[in-house]
Amino acid sequence: MLEYTPWLSWVFPILGALLTPALARIHPRVRDYAAVGFSGLGAFMAFLMFLGYPQVLKGEASAGFYPLSVEWIRVAGVQVKAGMLVDPLSVLMANVAAWIGLLIMVYSLGYMRGDPALTRYWFFMNLFIGNMVLLVLADNLLLLFIGWEGVGLCSYALIGFWHRDSPEDRKTRWVGEGAEEYPPSHCGMKAFLTTKVGDIFLLVAIFLIYSQAGTFSFLELQGNLAWARSLAEMGLLIPAALFLLGGPLGKSAQLPLMEWLPDAMAGPASVSALIHAATMVKAGVYLVARVFPIFFSAMHSGLPSLIVFFQAVAWAGALTAFVAATQAVVSREIKKVWAYSTVSQIGYMMLALGIAGFLTGDALVAAFAAALFHLVSHALFKATLFLSSGSVSHACESRFMDDMGGLRRLMPFSFLSMFIGALALAGVPPLSGFWSKEGILKSVVEAFQASAQAPFLYTLAALTVGLTFFYSLRVVGLVFLGGKSAHLQKAEKLGHHVHEAPPLMWIPYLALALITVAIGALAPLLLEGFLSMFSPSLSTLAHLEGGEAMEAHSPLGEWLVLLTSTLMLALGGIPAYYAYVAGRWNVKAWVERRPELKALQVFLLRRWYINQAYYRVFVDPALKLSDRAHRVLEFHGLLRFSSLVASGVTTLYSRLRKTHTGVFNDYAVGLMGGLTLLIVLLVWLGLGG
Amino acid sequence: MVPIAFSAIALAVGGRLGKYAGWLAFAVLTYTTGLLGFILFQLRSWGGSLVASYPWGRYLGDFTLVADGLSTPFALVISMLAALIAIYSISYMEHERNLHAYFALYLLYSAGMMGTVLVTNLAAFFVFFELMLIPSWALIGVWGTGAREKIAFKYFMFTEAGALFLLAGIVTARFLAGTFDVFAIAAGMERVSVGTAVAIVSAILLGLFVKMAIFPLHTWLPDAHAEAPTPISALLSPAMVGIGGYAAIRIVYTAFPMVLGHGQFVMALVVLAVVTMIYGGYMALAQDDIKRLLAYSSISQMGYLLFGVVSLSALGLTGAVLIYVSHGLGKAILFMVAGIFIHTLHTRSIRELGGLAGRMPYSATATLLGFLTLMGAPPLIGFWGEFFTFGGSIYTGTGFGGVTAPNLTRIWVTGIAVVFSAMTAGYGLWTVRRVFFGGTPEPLKEAKEGPRLMTAPILVLAVVAVVLGIYPTVLTNVAAPFLSQLLSGLTPAMGS
Repeated sequence: MLEYTPWLSWVFPILGALLTPALARIHPRVRDYAAVGFSGLGAFMAFLMFLGYPQVLKGEASAGFYPLSVEWIRVAGVQVKAGMLVDPLSVLMANVAAWIGLLIMVYSLGYMRGDPALTRYWFFMNLFIGNMVLLVLADNLLLLFIGWEGVGLCSYALIGFWHRDSPEDRKTRWVGEGAEEYPPSHCGMKAFLTTKVGDIFLLVAIFLIYSQAGTFSFLELQGNLAWARSLAEMGLLIPAALFLLGGPLGKSAQLPLMEWLPDAMAGPASVSALIHAATMVKAGVYLVARVFPIFFSAMHSGLPSLIVFFQAVAWAGALTAFVAATQAVVSREIKKVWAYSTVSQIGYMMLALGIAGFLTGDALVAAFAAALFHLVSHALFKATLFLSSGSVSHACESRFMDDMGGLRRLMPFSFLSMFIGALALAGVPPLSGFWSKEGILKSVVEAFQASAQAPFLYTLAALTVGLTFFYSLRVVGLVFLGGKSAHLQKAEKLGHHVHEAPPLMWIPYLALALITVAIGALAPLLLEGFLSMFSPSLSTLAHLEGGEAMEAHSPLGEWLVLLTSTLMLALGGIPAYYAYVAGRWNVKAWVERRPELKALQVFLLRRWYINQAYYRVFVDPALKLSDRAHRVLEFHGLLRFSSLVASGVTTLYSRLRKTHTGVFNDYAVGLMGGLTLLIVLLVWLGLGG
Repeated sequence: MVPIAFSAIALAVGGRLGKYAGWLAFAVLTYTTGLLGFILFQLRSWGGSLVASYPWGRYLGDFTLVADGLSTPFALVISMLAALIAIYSISYMEHERNLHAYFALYLLYSAGMMGTVLVTNLAAFFVFFELMLIPSWALIGVWGTGAREKIAFKYFMFTEAGALFLLAGIVTARFLAGTFDVFAIAAGMERVSVGTAVAIVSAILLGLFVKMAIFPLHTWLPDAHAEAPTPISALLSPAMVGIGGYAAIRIVYTAFPMVLGHGQFVMALVVLAVVTMIYGGYMALAQDDIKRLLAYSSISQMGYLLFGVVSLSALGLTGAVLIYVSHGLGKAILFMVAGIFIHTLHTRSIRELGGLAGRMPYSATATLLGFLTLMGAPPLIGFWGEFFTFGGSIYTGTGFGGVTAPNLTRIWVTGIAVVFSAMTAGYGLWTVRRVFFGGTPEPLKEAKEGPRLMTAPILVLAVVAVVLGIYPTVLTNVAAPFLSQLLSGLTPAMGS
C-alpha cells in the first residue's frame, strides 16, 4: 500500500480540484472544507512516503525507486513513461509543497471568506498543489515539464484571480506605482508569458537531450553519458545546458527573467505565499538540483566545458540576489518587498548550487545541502511573512506601508510572526535563516581556490546580507512601530478600527513562525541530518576526481564568513534601527535634500529600468510592428494587388471580347489553354529527365 | 466507408425539411462520427487499414476509399466537428431564411471534406476537393456578412487557381506513372528524375498551400473566415484548411518519396512553414475583429502543421496529425464562442468586449482551453502536437532516425520556430484578457451566457481536448505505427 503514496500525494489534490465544482452544488461550506481536506490527504500521503521508503531518511536511497512506472505514450520509437522518483530531494520537496500548501489552504478559509468566485479559487489552488508535487516527484524530464506547465497555468489563473481589475480596488488589489502600476489580469498574463519564454528554452533542451539519449529519465541520463559526448561533438552540449537553465531562470524569477514576480503580487496574499514564496518559484531550484548530478558527472568525464553551466547558475543567482535586494530597500508596498526578497533569496540558492559545481568532496555535499536547507527555511519564513502581510493589508485596506504604522498592539500575533520571519530572513542568529545563509556563504569561500570568480560572487552575496537586514527591519518598523498613518487615523474617524485577524488566519502563520524558531534551535542537528541524507547519493559525485576531495569547511573560511556577515548585519541593521525602529532619523527628509540619493531612489523604484526596457524592446515594438505590417502588407499591398489583378483581367477581357462572345468561353478557353501548356511543360521536363 | 460519402450526399439532396433539416444533418453526421470512431478503435485489429474499392473507369482506375492510421483521425475530427456544429447552426441560424438549402449545402460540404480525406484515387481526390469548395463558396456568398459576394468570389478564385495547379500536377503524374492511385504512383515514377518530381510536387503543393493559406497565398483566408456565417467559419478553419496538410502527407510521402531526398527543396518548405507561423501570429496581434484574429491564428497554426509535415520523421508526422486535431478542436471552440458574441451581444470587436468571465463562465472556460491547446500547453492535446512536431524536426536535424544526415541548419530553424511559439501564448492570453477580464463596458452589463444549443457543442469539444491531452494514446496508437511504416519505406526511396 505504501508504495502508492508518491502517486496519491499528487492525485488527491488534483482529484479535489476536479470535485470542487460538483461539491459547490451541495453547499459552499462542503466545498471549502473538502478542498482543504483533499490537500490534507495529499500532505498526509507525502508524509507517509517517509514510512514507505525509510531508506530515504537514512540516505540509502541513492538509486531511487520507481513505484509503478507505467508506459504512457509510445510514438514512433519515442516512449514516454510515467513514473515517480523517490529520493531525498524529491521527498523533501514534496513534503515542503504539500504541508505548507495545507497550512495556506487553512489560512484561505479565513482570508478568502465571502469571495464570490471561491469555486475557481479552490479549484486552482488544489490543482496547483497537485501539479507541484507531481513536478518534484516525476522521474523524467517530460513528466516534470507537464507539472511545470501545470503550475504555470495555475499561477496565471491565481495571480489574475481578481480579474475584474476594478479601479476601486486599486489600493488593495493592484500592484506597482506610476507608469508601472498594473491590474491583476495584466500581471497574470505577464507571469505566464515571461515564464513561458524560459519554458520554451527548456523544451528545446529536452528535445536536444532526448535526441541523443533516447530517454527522458533522470537516472538513465546520469547512468549513461554517451549522449552528452555526442551532443558535444555537434557543438550542442553547451547550448542544451544553457537552454535547460532557461526554464529555472523563468520559473524561479532570476535575472534576466525576474520581472514577472514582483508584479505577481496582484494575486491574493495566500497565493503569493503558496506560489511566489514557498513552492512554485522553488521549482527552478529543484530542477537545477535535479540535473546537477547529471551535468556534474558529465563535466568530470571529459567535458570540462560544462563548467559554464555552473558558472551561469552561480552568476545569475548572485546578481539576482543583489539587484532584487536593492529594489526591496525602496519599495513602498509591503508584499512587493517580500517579492523582491523572495527573488533575492532564491538567488542565494542558485548561487549555492552553482558553487557546488566548482567544488569536490565534502565541500560539494555541503554546498548542495546548504542550498536545500535554505530552500526549506526560506519556504517557512517567507510563507509566514506573506500570510501576515495579507492580514495586515486586509486590516488596513491598503497595500502601501505608508498607510500602516503602529499596528504592534492592535495586531500582536501578526506582529510577532512577521518579526520572527523578518529576523529569520535577515539571517539573525540563531534563527533558521542564519544557519542556511552561513552555509551558503561558507561554500562560496571554499570555492576561492577553485575559481577566480568566487570572490566576486562572495562580495555580491555579502552585500546582500546587509541589504536584507535593512529592508526587513524597515518593513517591521514602518508597519508595526511608530505612530498610526494618516490613512488609519482617517479610517478610525469613520468608525473603522483595525483589529487582529481571526484565529483561522493567524494560527497558520504563527505556527510557521514557531517552526522557524524551532528549526533555528535545532539547526546544527538538522544540518547533520541533511548532510547524511544527501551525502550517500552525492558521494559518488563528490569523489569523482579521487584524491583531491575538499574538506567541508576550512577554519579560515568559517572566520571570514562570520566576520563579514557580522559586519554586514551591523552595516544594514544599525541604520535601519535608527531610521525605522527607534525613529530617530528622518530618512525621507534626508533623501529629499540630496539629489543624488533621490536619483538613486527613483532608479531603484523604477526597478533599474529593466522592466520598462522589456516593455520598450519586446512588447511595444511587437505590437506596433504587427499593426504596421498588417496595414502595409495585408491592407494596402493587397488592395493594390487586387486592383492590379482586376484591371489586368478587365483589359484582357475587353481584348478577348472582340473575338469572343460569351464570358464563360473566355474563361474556359483560357483555363484549358493554360492547363495544357502546363501539362506539356511538365511532361517535357519528365521525359527530358 | 462508402455509406458515409453517399448517404450524406443523398440526404443533402432530399434534406428539404424546413427547420428539422438541422437535426437531420446532425443525425447523419453523428452516424458517420460513430462509424469512424468504431473504425478508429478497430483499426489495429484489422491490420492497419480498411479499404473499399470500386471500379470507376478504364482511364481513371478504381475508386478507392481507405481508412488507415492517417486518414481516420482526420475524417473523424471532420465528422465530429460537422456534427456538433450542425447543432450549433440550428440556434445560430434561427433567424435566417432557406435553412433547408443551408443544411443541404452543409452536408454536401461535410461530405466533400470527408471524401477528400478518405479517397486514394487522385482524380477522385480532385473531384472531392472541388466538392468542398463549391458548397462553401455558396454558403459564404449567400449567408455571409459584409461584402460577402465579393469575398466568396475571391475565395473561390484563389482556391480554384490553386486547384488548377493541383490538377496539372495530378494529370502530369498520371501521364508519367500511368495511374491515378496514390499508392501506385511511386512505383511508376521510378525512372523519372528528381527534378521533374520536384516540379510536379511543387505544382501539387501550390494547390494545397492555397487551401492551407500558407504565406504568401493566405490572403483569401482572413476575409473568408471573417465574413462566412460563423458555423461555416468554424468548419472552414479547423476542418477544411488543414486538409491541405493531410493531402501533403498522403500525396508527397506516399507517391513522391524521392522528392524528400532533395535537401534544399525540403529546407525551403521548412522555412516557408516557419515564416507562415510567425507571420500569422504577428498579424493576429494586430486584429480587433475577433474572427479576423482567429483567422490569422489559423494561418499561423497551418505553419505548424506544415512544419510537422516536412519534418521527415514519423514523430513529426504524428505531431502534425495531433496539431490538426488540436487546431480542429480549439479553433472550432473559439469560432463558436465568437459566434455567441455575435449572436447575443451583436458585436465582434474586441474593443467593445470586456469583463465577460463572470457573465459567461462556460464560454470563458472553453475559450481559455481553446487557446491553451493552440499554444500547446499541457494537459491539452495541443501540447503533444507541438511536442512531437518540434521533437520530430529536431530528431531529423540530429540524424536521430537515420533518415537524413545531421543537419544543423534544421536544428536552428526549429529553435527559432519553438521560440516564436511563445507568440501564440501572447495573442491568445491577451485576447482572453481583453474579452473576459477587466471592466465591463456599459452596453454589456446585461450580457448572459449563450443559448444551450450553442454552449453544449463548445463544452463537448473542450472536454475532448482535455481527455485527448491526458490520454493521446487513442490517436497515437493508430497514427504512429502507420506513419512509422510509411517512413521506414521511405528511407531507401529517398536515397535514389
